[in-house]
Amino acid sequence: MNTVREDRIMKRVFLSPAVIILLALSIFPLLWSLGISFTDMQRGGSTIARQAAAEGIESGVGFLGLGFELTGRNYQRLLGDTRLHSTVRNTMIYVFFGVCIQYSIGLGLATVLNQPFRGRNIVRVIFLMPMMMTPVAAAYTGRMFFDSNPLRSPLAHFFRELSKALQLENNISIPWFTDLGWAPVAILIIDAWQWIPFMTLILLAGMQAIPEDIYEAARVDGANVAQIFARITLPILLPISLTVILIRGLEIFKIIDVIVVTTGGGPGSATESLTLYIFEQALSNGNYGYASAIAYVLLVLVIIFATIFLATGRRLGGLRTD
Amino acid sequence: MANKAKAKRRSWRSSRRPLWQSALLYAIVVFWCFIVLFPFYWLGTTSVKRPIDVSRGPKYIPYRDFQPIPDHWDEMFGSQRESTERHFRNSLISAIGSTILSVIIGAMAGYGLSRFRYFWGRLGWDNDNIAFWIISQRFLPPAIFIVPFLLLYNFFGLVDTYPGLILAYTMFNIPFAVWIMRDFFDGLPVDLEESARVDGATRWQAFMRIVLPLSAPGLVAVAIFSFIFAWNEYLFALMLTNYQAITMPVLIAGQNNTRGIEWWFISALTLMAVVPVIIMGLLLERFITRGLTAGAVKG
Repeated sequence: MNTVREDRIMKRVFLSPAVIILLALSIFPLLWSLGISFTDMQRGGSTIARQAAAEGIESGVGFLGLGFELTGRNYQRLLGDTRLHSTVRNTMIYVFFGVCIQYSIGLGLATVLNQPFRGRNIVRVIFLMPMMMTPVAAAYTGRMFFDSNPLRSPLAHFFRELSKALQLENNISIPWFTDLGWAPVAILIIDAWQWIPFMTLILLAGMQAIPEDIYEAARVDGANVAQIFARITLPILLPISLTVILIRGLEIFKIIDVIVVTTGGGPGSATESLTLYIFEQALSNGNYGYASAIAYVLLVLVIIFATIFLATGRRLGGLRTD
Repeated sequence: MANKAKAKRRSWRSSRRPLWQSALLYAIVVFWCFIVLFPFYWLGTTSVKRPIDVSRGPKYIPYRDFQPIPDHWDEMFGSQRESTERHFRNSLISAIGSTILSVIIGAMAGYGLSRFRYFWGRLGWDNDNIAFWIISQRFLPPAIFIVPFLLLYNFFGLVDTYPGLILAYTMFNIPFAVWIMRDFFDGLPVDLEESARVDGATRWQAFMRIVLPLSAPGLVAVAIFSFIFAWNEYLFALMLTNYQAITMPVLIAGQNNTRGIEWWFISALTLMAVVPVIIMGLLLERFITRGLTAGAVKG
């Protein structure tokens, strides 16, 4: 067979499966849920359709959400939904502080692991272990540690012993999951424990790709450790840092499992994330239309975050976007 | 390897490191190892504690603080055996199924994007645009798929089935697979395939017999990532399964409300769920690093 003609066919064969799956399972649902967000679709039909059925009027309720009355009501409802506003705020807090904590500790650990020392290979494997735990399981483990009863939790026990040793009048006892302020902190810590290894892994790979000669040259010029870190390591790591922060940030936008297992969104809705709220609206309440509208709020937030990041990256000349 | 040479040079330098720096280094390493390992230790000990030792604790050291008992593990493989096995099998099947699909489809698309020039006229997209579109799908919030997937899966009868879970996880894994494999193939010289094709091999034969065997590290990295993602996934497993196809994460999360919180049993389950991932991770750690570097270091 003519190789040019063969290639013309083969190039389609190679790419098509991926594109077809993404079109069918990603783009189509994406557009469809945009449509649903403008209807009052609920589990088992729409309110309008049910009313119509009750009054004996034929209504064209179809499978694809066709025949549903178009309405902007969901989006109006968004504005007055205070629970939604607090979930948006919580999600932003998780993303911002989560990324800051995880990046700074991850960078520190990567710097440490980039030094030669005995047993480094085994330590590298140990550092990766939290990433391998199911987030649900990590959350349960977190719950054991953040239990405020010193008879059950080693952490609370430690705090009690510490207060005894320091002869404090009141024992240090942190109401991790029951306090409005502490509950998000506990969730941030659990998420950080699990995902700092990811930051460390990638930043370490980036550091190891930096040629040794650059460091030698800087040392010859009399730069000290701090200067080398600030002027050489950090700037070279900038592109990969932006990438890794972007990836983690986008991942934290999706946080749900840790919250479900630890606080279930409470106290009140102090720890509820957008994804959890959408899930509850869709599955517990069956408000498909409204859940889709909230999902689009989340999508817009994610797009804003990613766009700002990509633009900053391009301005700084680092981020490869292809 | 260049890395080895570099490591050698660095270890030579380490002999000049001041003592306080070494001390600080080891202090940080030991501290962080403790942070990482202690929760695992706690899970391990909790899984062999009597309930009274869990609630009237904390008991740290087996045989000194408490008498370890194998009851909870016996329960998991005894009276609960049917449930444990079923959920473990469900996780395994959906994770392996989606891993195989993601690796195949990802490698094909990655190869296509690396070796051919595409131009989607109507959108004005070339290879880079297509690749960016594909990877951007990975970062869509899954929450947006909740409602359409519920409706679609109900319509096609995919709820609570293996194909349903496998399909969903494959969709989530493909973007990353394509991305890593494309970078990997970009770094692979074309000469070998070309000489094979001069000798009369078709494009497909060259891909199967020459390109794929050479890309083992990339394929392994993709496989590990896909497997771990599917193994640990919670939201879609919760949403798309009711009984038959429930996976380990959903089983673990569900321990909350079935019989009150039995920490000892949850700990045993958690350790069970971690085992396959740890085995993969430990065996293939170097592949992870290499595969990631292929995808990430270019930034």
